[in-house]
Parts: sequence; C-alpha cells; structure tokens
Amino acid sequence: MTASISLRGVGRTFGATRALADIELDLEPGVIGLLGPNGAGKTTLLRLLATALPPSKGAVRVLGRDPDVPAERTDIRRRLGYLPQEVGFPRGFTAFAFVDYIALLKEWTEPTARHAEVRRVLDQVGLSDAAAKRIRAMSGGQRRRVALAQALLGSPPVLILDEPTTGVDPEQRVTLRTVLAEIARTSIVVLSTHQTEDVAALCERVVVLDQGRIRYDGQVTELVRQAADRVWLADQPDPAATVSWRTGTGRYRNVAAQARAGVEHVEPSLEDAYLLLRGQLPNPRAEEVAS
Amino acid sequence: MTAWHVDDETLRRYVERTDSVAEGASVEQHLLTCAQCRTRVNSAATAFGLAAVWERTRDAVEIPLPSPFERLLRAVGLPAHEARLVAVASAFRGVWLVGVTAVLAFAALAAMIGHVRGLWLFLALAPLMPCLVVAFSYDRRWDPALAPEMVTPYPALRLVLLRTIAVLALALPALLLFGLVVPDAAPFAWLLPAVGFVAVVLAASTWVSPLNAATVVSAGWFAAVWVVGARSATPAAMLQTRTQVAFLVLASASFGIFLVRGRHLRQLRPWR
Repeated sequence: MTASISLRGVGRTFGATRALADIELDLEPGVIGLLGPNGAGKTTLLRLLATALPPSKGAVRVLGRDPDVPAERTDIRRRLGYLPQEVGFPRGFTAFAFVDYIALLKEWTEPTARHAEVRRVLDQVGLSDAAAKRIRAMSGGQRRRVALAQALLGSPPVLILDEPTTGVDPEQRVTLRTVLAEIARTSIVVLSTHQTEDVAALCERVVVLDQGRIRYDGQVTELVRQAADRVWLADQPDPAATVSWRTGTGRYRNVAAQARAGVEHVEPSLEDAYLLLRGQLPNPRAEEVAS
Repeated sequence: MTAWHVDDETLRRYVERTDSVAEGASVEQHLLTCAQCRTRVNSAATAFGLAAVWERTRDAVEIPLPSPFERLLRAVGLPAHEARLVAVASAFRGVWLVGVTAVLAFAALAAMIGHVRGLWLFLALAPLMPCLVVAFSYDRRWDPALAPEMVTPYPALRLVLLRTIAVLALALPALLLFGLVVPDAAPFAWLLPAVGFVAVVLAASTWVSPLNAATVVSAGWFAAVWVVGARSATPAAMLQTRTQVAFLVLASASFGIFLVRGRHLRQLRPWR
C-alpha cells in the first residue's frame, strides 16, 4: 500500500487565534516543502500531521488511520518520524544516549538491534564520530543533527521535519538532502523551512502557507515559471518592482508582479517566485495568527 | 623450526577466542617457536578479530553505562529497557535524590532536637517529598525529552506508573527510616499522607501539568498544617486514625480518577 496523508477541511484555533483554516491536502511519497512567513501556520500544520496536536475541526488521516482514535494514533506513531522545531535534551546525555532513549520510547527493546539502528541513523546525519560526545558540548548544527537522527529511527514511512537544516553547515546540508531524497523514494517527507534553496534542491512539490491558509500547492518548477520575465537586474532599485535588493555585484535585483519589457531579465529563482507570490497576497489581517 | 603447524580450524578458534584453555596454551607454546604460524595468526587476526574488537571497543565507548539506580531496578526484575526509561528521568539523577534526602534529614533532625516545632516542620515537609519527585519525574520542563513534540508509541500511562512506583519504592522506606527518629509519632504515620498526595498529583496531572498539581497540593498541605498548628499544641491531631483513613480514601479515589482519565495525561502526551 502506498503511504498517504489526507487533510479535509482542517482548521485549528488557539483560543481566539486562528492558526489554520480550511486546509485540504493530499500527500504521497516524495519530499513536500512547506514555505511561509513566520506565523503562517507551518509548525501547527506539522504538529497536526505528527499527531502532536488535534485539529479543532476537519479530518486528518495518516496512512489511512484516524489519529483521533487512540489505538490508531499509536499505530501512526509507530510509523512516524518527527523533528520538532525545538528539541530539549536531558542534561548530561551523549548523542548516542539520547537517540537510544528515543529508540526505547519507539519500542526498540532488543539491545543489539537498537544499538545498530542508533548507529545507522547517527551515521546518516554524519555524527558517527561524535556519538559519545555530550550534547551540551556540541554546536547548534550538531544538536540539530542529533534531533534529526531520532526522527530517522526505523526508516519511517512518514517523516515530518520542522526546519531540519537550521544551523547546519552547507556541506552537511548537501549530505542531508541526499539522505532525505533517498528516504523520499518510499516515504512521505514533509519539511518546513525558510531556506528556499533547500526546497528548490529537494522538493518536487511546494505548499505555501500564509495566514493559516494554503496560497499555493503545486510543483516547484511551476511556481518558479510564474516569475519568468518578472525578475531583472538594474543599476538602481526600480520603483515598479514589488521588492528589490542590492546583490553582491553592486547591481539591484528587482522582482515585480507585472512582466517587464526592455530590461535585463535573469533566470528567476524559487526565492524570487516566493517573494512574488507573497507580494500578491492580501495584507496581513488585523487578527493575530499563531505559528 | 618445527615439523608441524597449527591447522586452519584450530587457528580460527584461537583468533576468535573460542578455543579451550588447554588448546590455547598449546597453540601459544607453538607460536613461540614457529615464525610461519605467527605470520598466519597475524593474517587471521586481521580477518577474524578486528571487526569484533572494534565492535567491543565501540560499545564500551558509546553505550551509556547504567546508573546505580538503573542497576537496582534491573536487580528487582524490571526489564532492561524499562529500567532505562525509568532511570533517565531527571528526578532520579543524583542531584535530586541528594536534595530530597537532605531536606528529609534536616526535617528529621529538627523534629529530634526541636521537638514540637521540629515535629511540625517534619510533618509539613515529609509527606510532600514523594509527590514532588513524582511530578519532577514526568514534567516536561524538567525532562525535556518528554516534550509534547516527542510523539512516540510507548504508553504514557505505563511510563508514568513505572516512574511513580520507582519513586514510592525509594521514598517510602526513606520516610519510615527518618520517621523512626521523630519523637512522639509512629514512624509509619507519614506513609498514607505521602501516598495520598502522590495519587492526587497523578489524578490532577490529567488536567494540569504535574508540577503545577504538586505545587497546589504542597500549598494546600502547608495551609492545613498551619491552621491545625495554630489550634493545637501538638501535631497528634494530624496523625489520628480518622485522618489516616481520610488519606486512604483520598489515595484510592485519586488513583481511580487517574486510571479512568489516564489518556488525558498532560505534558507527556499532547493529544487533547
């Protein structure tokens, strides 16, 4: 059976604050990127998918199971890897001890198999040489990779990753992309990030959230194509541009909602397309939106 | 030089250390005089032994050693993986246990030398210690790996109960021991209030965080001790049979609520 996730009319509120509204989503194996500004609802959506939070309304199905039913929720959790935005580490734990502890909670009771699995995931995130190092002595990027390692335990068919590459150096990010691309051949990998280059490098599909609603859901290439003829370089910021910024060459990169003729067009990036999409969205409402 | 050489099978057993003591001694004697077999041992060791030696070395360096408490839990029959899940709670690390023991010892000392005032102090503190340790053993602020984001299939109810039983197994004998030195009071008088408060914290943590529940219970108990202390010259009123029965009823009712509402455990499992 192919792994799948579906959300139908899903909403989530925190008190009077609406974090998600009318989310309709079907996910199949592959890497799905989640983009959006702070407070767009990305983390809330990932927590819903990870069974860490119930929806206020609507229906969520993960691998055909209903997370509202305790037995089915437990079954989902057996086949789920989740990297939260923030992970706390118990005092004095080494990387190996932490991942081993989570493996125990994930019902890896047989020690030889568990230790082999812990080594496998630490190796996947490039930490096999630092397995015995205390986490408090690690850099931010290394801690992030320890947290990612626990999500990879058991090669789960559903992998939910909230900003997996934050603080990770470029070399390791490339390695992690390779690992995630391999996992995504059979698993659903949903990742939220502010790094558009990660989405461009990894994802076929991107979902853009804003103010708790889906504003774009489709192929990355299609989103980038929408920015064609709308990105150009100039010696000065163009007043017609939605956004413009000074690049490393000293020239200005301009991105506009309307196609522009007679200018020096350049190949648009996903970041350009995302900024363009954001520029076309309505202004933030008065009501507060939680992330 | 020697006319015979160690055969391949014997050599393999020697390198893998699966031979008998006598056979191993015989091979070693031969190796002292045979350069050809020494060379074969070197080659065989590379093939057979290094991987195993590396695995053993890696295990020794990486796999965390069980704490004394974890070894104790295993010794009383808890499976190794559950002993680890219980023992890694912050509440069972050395600093907490030392702190709780020190508070109890101080209170017992005060009761011994300060008599009535000291007795009130012991009465106020001793029954609360187990419920505070229980709260610390699964409150996510003190045990960050149990943050709600860590969604795992391990049953939360089982984990909390295991840790609670471990706390009671440690705390109740300690209370009895310290109770022995308290004058004018039966050493077991503190046990039922302690168990009752633990049960209340468990039940309340299906609505609020365990630490908040323990804080409210502590404040309530201090207030009760204060009120009774203002009316009565001795703490005997708190230790009467009917009070003990009341704590027994409180413990039973709270534990029942906890079992019924276990799926609503706060902090440990966020689905609500």
